[in-house]
Amino acid sequence: MSDLFQTLSLSASGMRAQSMRLRHVSENIANSDTPGYRRKLVAFEDTLKQGVSTGEVSLGDVTLDQRELKRVFDPGHTLADGSGYYDGSNVDLVVEIADAREAQRSYEANLKIFDQARQMSSALFELLRR
Amino acid sequence: MLDKIEIMRMAQGMAAHAGARQATIAQNVAQADTPGYRARDIAPFSESYSNNTSTELRRTRAGHLGASDAADGSEFRMIRSQGTEAPNGNTVSLETEMVKSAEVRQQHEMALSIYKSSLDILRASIGRR
Repeated sequence: MSDLFQTLSLSASGMRAQSMRLRHVSENIANSDTPGYRRKLVAFEDTLKQGVSTGEVSLGDVTLDQRELKRVFDPGHTLADGSGYYDGSNVDLVVEIADAREAQRSYEANLKIFDQARQMSSALFELLRR
Repeated sequence: MLDKIEIMRMAQGMAAHAGARQATIAQNVAQADTPGYRARDIAPFSESYSNNTSTELRRTRAGHLGASDAADGSEFRMIRSQGTEAPNGNTVSLETEMVKSAEVRQQHEMALSIYKSSLDILRASIGRR
């Protein structure tokens, strides 16, 4: 029985992590036209409780993508330098959409496992109801 | 009392095995995008069941020698499941996990049905319905 409750919390941690990831993706997309914006990257990692792995997943520190910023030609822009270029953001929309799809797919998988564990424990309770 | 009856003990162990396996699957799915994570699985029920019936000494008291009481299902052997490695070192395949979780569901239902019908037989034999 405790295994099933553990299942619920593991799946919940997965869903939490995936929705946080989606939150970062939407932040990147929203800022895709902000001059000088660097894409935010998050990696998943194992959750440790007092040095022991709990099996739950959580988001690690946010890092900034160090790729070169896109140079945009617009002499009328306030940030444009002498040659008429300014630094755009290094967000690639296609990559962000792909990332969002992957997050959605993983979220659904977690949700399915969660639902299954819930059904299994209610079947167990059904034994008591007789 | 009920754990003295072999079939009920078996059903109990089987349900516990299904629960433990479901927890492992949930862990794999939750970590499906963690770099370097290796997928895990639990050894099949047939293995843990035959291990704790054939080799175990018969005990008449709880304190007797005879190793751990694995019948309650707390001791299952963890194995590493096979899978191709993604570029980030992760070996979880969501499709395989879904198939496994359907298997687990089936096993759990089977165990509970066996338990239920054994309980019915027991009730009938003591004259209650």
